[in-house]
Amino acid sequence: MLQKSKPYLLLLPATATIVLLFFGGLFDGLLKSLGYFPAIGKMELDLTAYTGLLGSSDFWESLALTTRVAALSSLIASILGGIIAISLFMLSESAKSGAPRFWQRLFQLPLTIPHLVGGYIIVLLFMQSGFLSKILATAGVIDDISDFPVLVNDPFGWGIIMAYAWKEAPFVSLMIYPVLTRIHSSWRDVSRVFGAKGWQFIREIVLPIIFPAWTIAAFIVFVFTFSAFEVPYLLGVTYPSMLPVYSYQLYTSGTLADRPEALAVNIILAALTILLGLAVYFFSKRWNVLKGWN
Amino acid sequence: MERRSNLIRLFFFSIVFLVIVFPFLPLLLSSVSFGWQWPNVLPESYSFRAWEYVLAGSSGTWPAVGASLLIAGIVTAVNILLAVPAANALSRNKFTGKWLAEAIIFAPIVIPPFVAVMGIHLTFLRLGLTETIFGVVLAHLSPTLPYMVRAVMISYNTLSVDWEDQARMLGAGPFSRFFHVVLPHLMPGIAAGASLSILISLSQYLITFLIGSGQVVTLPILLFPFISGGDPAIASAYSLLFAGMAILTLLVMDVSLKNYYKNKKASTVKGQQRGVEM
Amino acid sequence: MNDLRIINIKKQFKQTERRGDPAFSLQPIQLTIREGEFFSLLGPSGCGKTTLLKLVAGLLQADSGEIWVGDTNLTKVPSESRKFAMVFQQSLLFPHMSVEDNVAFGLKMQKVGKKQRLDKARAMLERVGLAGYGSRLPDELSGGQQQRVALARALVANPRVLLMDEPFSALDPILREEMRELLGRIQKEFRVTVLFVTHDREEAFYLSDRIGIMNEGELLQVGNARDLYERPASTTAATFLGLKNIIEGTVSDGRFSSIGGNFEFAVNDRFQAGQGFLVLRPEAVELMPNASLPPKGSLHVSGVIQQLRFKHGFYLCKVQVGDEQLECVFSSRQRENATAGQKVDLMVDLKDVWIVEK
Repeated sequence: MLQKSKPYLLLLPATATIVLLFFGGLFDGLLKSLGYFPAIGKMELDLTAYTGLLGSSDFWESLALTTRVAALSSLIASILGGIIAISLFMLSESAKSGAPRFWQRLFQLPLTIPHLVGGYIIVLLFMQSGFLSKILATAGVIDDISDFPVLVNDPFGWGIIMAYAWKEAPFVSLMIYPVLTRIHSSWRDVSRVFGAKGWQFIREIVLPIIFPAWTIAAFIVFVFTFSAFEVPYLLGVTYPSMLPVYSYQLYTSGTLADRPEALAVNIILAALTILLGLAVYFFSKRWNVLKGWN
Repeated sequence: MERRSNLIRLFFFSIVFLVIVFPFLPLLLSSVSFGWQWPNVLPESYSFRAWEYVLAGSSGTWPAVGASLLIAGIVTAVNILLAVPAANALSRNKFTGKWLAEAIIFAPIVIPPFVAVMGIHLTFLRLGLTETIFGVVLAHLSPTLPYMVRAVMISYNTLSVDWEDQARMLGAGPFSRFFHVVLPHLMPGIAAGASLSILISLSQYLITFLIGSGQVVTLPILLFPFISGGDPAIASAYSLLFAGMAILTLLVMDVSLKNYYKNKKASTVKGQQRGVEM
Repeated sequence: MNDLRIINIKKQFKQTERRGDPAFSLQPIQLTIREGEFFSLLGPSGCGKTTLLKLVAGLLQADSGEIWVGDTNLTKVPSESRKFAMVFQQSLLFPHMSVEDNVAFGLKMQKVGKKQRLDKARAMLERVGLAGYGSRLPDELSGGQQQRVALARALVANPRVLLMDEPFSALDPILREEMRELLGRIQKEFRVTVLFVTHDREEAFYLSDRIGIMNEGELLQVGNARDLYERPASTTAATFLGLKNIIEGTVSDGRFSSIGGNFEFAVNDRFQAGQGFLVLRPEAVELMPNASLPPKGSLHVSGVIQQLRFKHGFYLCKVQVGDEQLECVFSSRQRENATAGQKVDLMVDLKDVWIVEK
């Protein structure tokens, strides 16, 4: 009997914590998004917040921006991450020293940097009077501050995209690199025997092998960017804003009436991330990518 | 062949420079600048004014660093206590409802935690948990715990039950088995989980801001006004300090881990763990 | 007397507990191992010998039955308090402890003082030929050395019974023989009771005072090596002991005759009438000199040599006798007048003939 209940007892503290603090919060938020505010004597549930939200163009523009930014960030991060991983792999193939390990660590640096700092680095680099602009001006490419495109706090979200591309590219390369190391050096010899050149080796052997892990990594970056707050808050514009920022703006706008709408945004956001998360889980199980995870 | 690999190396080093080193240059320069007008590539004059301000007692940096570390420390300690038994159950047993337990524990990785925090905000307010360190610690638990469980699970997976059976046969009771055999084996995983937990807790802005309501001042709370339009020199100095703290945390964990356990297994666990970081 | 008594131990596994395997059960087993005896459980993998060992250790809970040592009933005593020791297939040395700390671990659990336990550990290491290795980490030792440390660690606390689960199977053959000798010597020195699990019959034969043959959760036969080999109780036991010449037939009127009729001889009253199997040990089969008559009291057959193979020091020969194939062992000298394809006469002394009831 004790044997049977043992795993449940062991799990109790952790699951109770998450259920109470996390799911409790989600549920609390869900109730309030449905207009349940016992504090002001409002006990009945309604969908006012949701209908209001779905009828407002602000919400749809915010969703469009969020999707666009998440898609572009994950695309750029995965291309950059792929290049990093493959170059690391090539480097460790050509040099047999312990150096690649050092480089690997160096590449993980952006991953370690807090998001706010990462965002600020992008500000300093890409704002109209930023470092790049200064370099271009000194080089004579541009004559005036206004010649430099607005890349930070811009309505398209370039600043956010660049910040995430920079921070998540190492993550993508970390997901791919272990798969690459599984490529046996003898395969390279075999492919050479069959006359494959360097580029062909990458195209015919390396790329197909890393493809599943690559896709999953890009997908994870997408889900993460989709629901992140700090960087969009710092690098975005007030309108349109990404969903988490939009929710925050509604929540702190001061009027109590906006709060259910803010929480409704959150619930929709949570529902979308759950769907995306399930998709990642499904494909990774199917492709057997996240060996360390499951 | 030789020329080829040199070419690869050159390509590689330029990427490293462009992607890793170059972005930090303006941050460093700005933190020691004294006026830096467009279009000068380098500041007109240098001073440690910003650093003096940041490191001085009056700026509130040290209490904020202390609060950040205190919160991260408590969160991590609680996480260890919660995660070790949970990881044991998840990686060593088959039982009904296991998928549900996993779904619950790992949900905060997928669903953004601020959603839950915003939802529970008013309840925390009523319970008097807002504006307190304790409340912030509670809010930091769910975003960090899943990573800790994950990390310890990986360690448990490499610990076959035979080890504990062996210790039993040598006369070790439950407590001796845990402290002499299980815990040493879990150490790399716990350390990896702890660095993640500290890192994530350190970099929380929104959650801390919502629950702390500006009264619990951690480093990100202190930093934000500066980087969103304040004095760039001070903002840069704070950013470097903040980043340095995060990197230092990882380094300390890394070094203490190496000293603790000079085993290959440790490095693979760490390597895998890195993969969980976002 | 501190004999180890296993009384009607029984264990049933549900299908779910052993993934992929069909449901498995250990039939009630009754066995007494004498103090100081080296007892081996021999059987193919999956026969339940490791399960039985773990039941004795208390690492698994039996459904019914009892474990006694001398006058003490240990059935309900947890493993850690049974004062048994166990050596597993892997050395399972704790990687974060030095070799001597590993060896001293059991004494530490018994609250023996630090100096005393380290002294004992070092002395024990010397006994297994690892003097001076105490301060190293397990990683720095070879596989064979690690297993020696595991043996030292098991013995240092004077266990009532030493349980060993295929301890040498992960080692390479030469090392395995070395370890076999070391274990045999040390067991005699310490007069420790050993319950040893193996699927390697040479290992079991070399080391054991007595052997129990197990198959499919059942203890088939217990005896010393020679008894088992010369008088197996069943064809399963005979097969597992490497006896290949098993010929079906019947005993009636004091005579055995095989189904094909090629083997026929008088058995007198030694074997009961009925259906049975004739078991012929390969080394009992002799080549008959050309054109000589079979001596009295021997079985005589003739056949054709199919194959001759040189093994270390002797020849293994397969002879086709009617529908049956006989495996026999010839010395190099005997072999001189035999070639493949040749017709030969074979004889077996009736004293070396064994019949197993069906």
